[in-house]
Amino acid sequence: MDLDTGNTAWILVSAALVMLMTPALGFFYAGLVGKRNALSTLLHSFFVLCLVSVQFVLWGYTLAFGPSQGGLIGGLDWAGLAGVGPEPNPDYAPGVPHLAYMAFQMMFAVITPALITGAFAERVSFKAFILFTLLWSTVVYAPIAHWVWGVGGWLRVFGAIDFAGGTVVHISSGVSALVAALVIGRRLARTEPHDATMTVLGAGLLWFGWFGFNAGSALAANGLAANAFVVTNTAAAMGALTWLTVSWIHRGRPSALGAALGAVAGLVAITPAAGFVTVPASIVIGLGAGTVCYLATLLRPRLRIDDALDVWAVHGIGGTWGAAATGLFASVAVNGAGVNGLFAGNPDLLVKQLVAIGATWLYAGVMTAVIVKIIQLTVGLRVREDDEVLGLDRSQHGEIAYQHD
Amino acid sequence: MEIAAFASFAALVLAWIVLPVRSEAPAAAETAPEALPEPVAA
Repeated sequence: MDLDTGNTAWILVSAALVMLMTPALGFFYAGLVGKRNALSTLLHSFFVLCLVSVQFVLWGYTLAFGPSQGGLIGGLDWAGLAGVGPEPNPDYAPGVPHLAYMAFQMMFAVITPALITGAFAERVSFKAFILFTLLWSTVVYAPIAHWVWGVGGWLRVFGAIDFAGGTVVHISSGVSALVAALVIGRRLARTEPHDATMTVLGAGLLWFGWFGFNAGSALAANGLAANAFVVTNTAAAMGALTWLTVSWIHRGRPSALGAALGAVAGLVAITPAAGFVTVPASIVIGLGAGTVCYLATLLRPRLRIDDALDVWAVHGIGGTWGAAATGLFASVAVNGAGVNGLFAGNPDLLVKQLVAIGATWLYAGVMTAVIVKIIQLTVGLRVREDDEVLGLDRSQHGEIAYQHD
Repeated sequence: MEIAAFASFAALVLAWIVLPVRSEAPAAAETAPEALPEPVAA
């Protein structure tokens, strides 16, 4: 099969854009923690980039995208990328090297467990974090990616749609974050964001990378990619404007951190819908994201679960809203290979989306509980109390982020 | 859908116009005259 050089270039550039999102996430999170944990929080994202990059080429890719084993998981045929070379795989990305498609998917596999690190920030032991990331990427991420995107995956066959990862990336990580935070327990003391500028910078870089995440998921440099690009930008903007406004009504002042969190909420919500909805629909999706995710942050303290950086509220709830909104607003006028949603006269899609949401919540929640319990009972999850007071930068890494107070 | 999109944005713009910004008095140290540097003697 001939290569399409334009599409190949776009996929490789998109992979690089998505790669940038993980260190950007590190900055986004590091600004939100206390200054004694800034470096360890940055390292969590950077380390996941390194760890999952190796895990994915060895066994993650084949488990997610290899020949289907009953629609549940990929086989081991492509372990170590055996048979994954410069020739295109027409099942996934015609005209694009299979290796380029793999690289693009690898960056999704990287950022997803990195998102969860915000839940157990400021008290997880580094050893537990490594084990969790390896186990979660293998046991949770790979199967769900196969269900939704793998050829023969049961949710794909069932007819649920997810353009760029609302279920695979955001619901899975958001729900897992809530469960992980529940099991690891609350921090000894809540800290204030030590550097809001870092968080706003991180949000800006995430937004930039998200163009690769969503527009790259068209897997071609075409009109569908352009649609995904524009709805991504619009939903991010509306998410930021809405969160800022709702929090202004609630707290009396417009918040810079609120704008940053709202942009990310808008980006999360448009992710599953980006290749299926119109630009006006993306305005409504962004509005919904900024509202429901902000309200979810208010609910979280009442649950008495210390999801330190609101991963569940932004990614779990934002992803759930986005996946459901795809069932509401999808239109074949945007994507001829897609399907109409409820407002285009097809209620079936909404039902299928709700099944996909429920299956992802259930599987990610249960399997994450099993993984964190196993780690808790073996190497332990938390650092000692005096180490937590000292901060993870010093106690876990013997380093500090800042030489000045 | 277009009507919903325009209405959403219009609602936000209206909110920004009517919402008051709750101010807090700045900390005394930031405004006290003694916080300013002493003039340098000629």
